[in-house]
Amino acid sequence: MWRQLHNRFGLPLTMAIVSLMGIWLIVMVLLPQWQMIDYSFHPALLPAERGGAKDVWSLTNYATFFRNEIHLAIFFKTIWSSVLVTTLTLIVSYPLAYYLAKVATPGQAALCLLLLIIPFWINEILRTFAWYIIFAFRGPLNELLLAVGLIDRPIRFLNGDTGVLVGMVYAYILFMVFPLYNAIESLDTNQIRAARDLGAGWGRTHRRIVIPHAKPGIATGCIMTFMLAAGSYAVPALLGSPGSRWFTQIIYNWFFEGGDWNQGAAYAFLLLVLCIVFVTVIMRIFKVGLGDIAK
Amino acid sequence: MDGRVNLSQVAMRFGDFTAIQPTSLEIASGEFFSFLGPSGCGKTTLLNMISGFLTPSEGLVAIGGVDMTRVPVNRRPTAMIFQNLALFPLMSVYRNIEFGLEVRGVDRKKRREKADELLDLVALGGSGDKPVAELSGGQKQRIAIARALAVEPRVLLLDEPLSALDLKLRQHMRTELKAIQRKTGITFIYITHDQGEALTMSDRVAVMCDGRIQQVADPMTLYRQPRTDFVAGFVGENNRFPGRVTAVDGGMVTLDAGLPAPLRGAAASPLEPGDEATLYVRPEQWRVGSASDSSLPFGGVIQAEHFEGAWLTLEIALEQGRTVRAHVPQALESDGVESSFKVGSACRLDYSPRGTLVLPGVERGQSDEEGADVAATA
Ligand SMILES: Nc1ncnc2c1ncn2[C@@H]1O[C@H](COP(=O)(O)OP(=O)(O)OP(=O)(O)O)[C@@H](O)[C@H]1O
Ligand SMILES: [Mg+2]
Repeated sequence: MWRQLHNRFGLPLTMAIVSLMGIWLIVMVLLPQWQMIDYSFHPALLPAERGGAKDVWSLTNYATFFRNEIHLAIFFKTIWSSVLVTTLTLIVSYPLAYYLAKVATPGQAALCLLLLIIPFWINEILRTFAWYIIFAFRGPLNELLLAVGLIDRPIRFLNGDTGVLVGMVYAYILFMVFPLYNAIESLDTNQIRAARDLGAGWGRTHRRIVIPHAKPGIATGCIMTFMLAAGSYAVPALLGSPGSRWFTQIIYNWFFEGGDWNQGAAYAFLLLVLCIVFVTVIMRIFKVGLGDIAK
Repeated sequence: MDGRVNLSQVAMRFGDFTAIQPTSLEIASGEFFSFLGPSGCGKTTLLNMISGFLTPSEGLVAIGGVDMTRVPVNRRPTAMIFQNLALFPLMSVYRNIEFGLEVRGVDRKKRREKADELLDLVALGGSGDKPVAELSGGQKQRIAIARALAVEPRVLLLDEPLSALDLKLRQHMRTELKAIQRKTGITFIYITHDQGEALTMSDRVAVMCDGRIQQVADPMTLYRQPRTDFVAGFVGENNRFPGRVTAVDGGMVTLDAGLPAPLRGAAASPLEPGDEATLYVRPEQWRVGSASDSSLPFGGVIQAEHFEGAWLTLEIALEQGRTVRAHVPQALESDGVESSFKVGSACRLDYSPRGTLVLPGVERGQSDEEGADVAATA
């Protein structure tokens, strides 16, 4: 890379570009992260005590987490729910992406993509709030279901996890659809036809031809959706109930209500580790490398 | 069920564009049948209707006497070889060939036996474990054939399967395809815009133009007795002489085409004096001699010459401004007459009317393959 830049821009400009990149990486990414990790291994102290005798490395903040059953439960619940969100998003997105990539005419595909993208011009909180209104006890969804006669008493969607799941699938669907669409689009349509021609039904054609080809796209979509879901704050805060709290909400509480940044940093670091583990596991399952995903 | 294919009044429209005009055709079981035509004439569309990827707007497709209207692609007794082959790149050669058998629930051992048998048939025994990506173009070609044959189709559909190969390999694969067809006895329906391929391999050829079949015949008949102007121009080369009939005598007609001598040729259908008609003379039917040879009725000037190996193609401008193409054997050239075939020099020429052909009517504007192509895409 140095060579290419050097050939194109000459030495002084290259030095400038590379050092700017380096400074940006260090100041904006590495230092803050390191600061957070450093925080997480120190006890919460008054400013006066910093650097004093009490300011030592310790695992207390992590111990607090592992001793707190409620927090542990919420942590695992967040993992489980994020996996569920990811799975649901995948199930919803796959047919959509396949339709866009292989069935729709260019005009139809453009229209669909536009309809998918327009809502994303609106802030995530507002979009989520829209669901809050739809799901309300006396909201339009209940009205509709009552009118159709499917239910005879309104349902409290916002009480449990339903609202959170639906809200998240909706909030992150694009991050699944696009990688899937790109992957499926790059599949030669004749492969699908060849499979059909050799006698395969639609199920087998997808299982043996389309899905294996789309694997890197599926992995990318799952990773993005999972990370967004696990790190989501607005959706569980708005659409969830106290019983369906998300791990991010606990982190938020430590930082801004508990005022214990060190404790919050430890929790945040745990979430980061979780995400890294998830990415690794997914890449193992799908047998894809970082290179495939970056495509 | 045998491998007969019947098309009855099959037509295909995309919006208000008619890709295939109503067409009826019977292809016999075990026949090597080709569709020959310029790009865009509807060959692939026709094949897709037989394979089931397209549903005809009108008419019926029957295979082995069974109406295929309600039979989806994956249940038809056909197998297709795609122009780009469409091998499954993530699977090994074995898995590619076994795919169709796996779908049919054949057990592992039988699948492998069958795959080995087919690999032997296409002369690639022992390469079953290779990834498809490691094969050469010709090998991929053969794997595609093996994969299609694995499902024991009654009809094999081939959409310009050789067009991606180089000339030598293409000629070799022609022979192999024909041999495989003989060995298996399967009906082959072959699509090509290369007349060489169609003429060398096929039992019968259908020449298509603008979504319409112009003529169905065996290669020899197609070459010797084209029935339409398009076929006369598309299959092999032809020099056209549009004119008016002046005399009819048995099967021979005399034509006034504005040349110094009247032209004679064999009429393909009955003609009357006064009818418009066109005489077709193939390049190899000309006899070209030196400018001093007064026994030859037509005079001209050599405009260009093309060396083609065994023969020389001359472009000769006749005195009346019409340019004809004539083949001259190489042997002649080295006989000392050589000097008379130089570009720019005059020559005289004649043809023997026996082998030529006169068709009724004169085509205007559509003079050769390129002309037809332009008309097809307009
Ligand atoms: N799905 C479609 N929608 C609209 N027009 C189509 C469609 N498929 C084919 N056509 C048109 O039908 C005509 C015939 O197409 P087809 O693919 O059958 O040609 P072809 O003879 O196979 O040509 P080539 O030798 O280039 O493959 C073309 O003019 C093409 O534009
Ligand atoms: Mg085609």
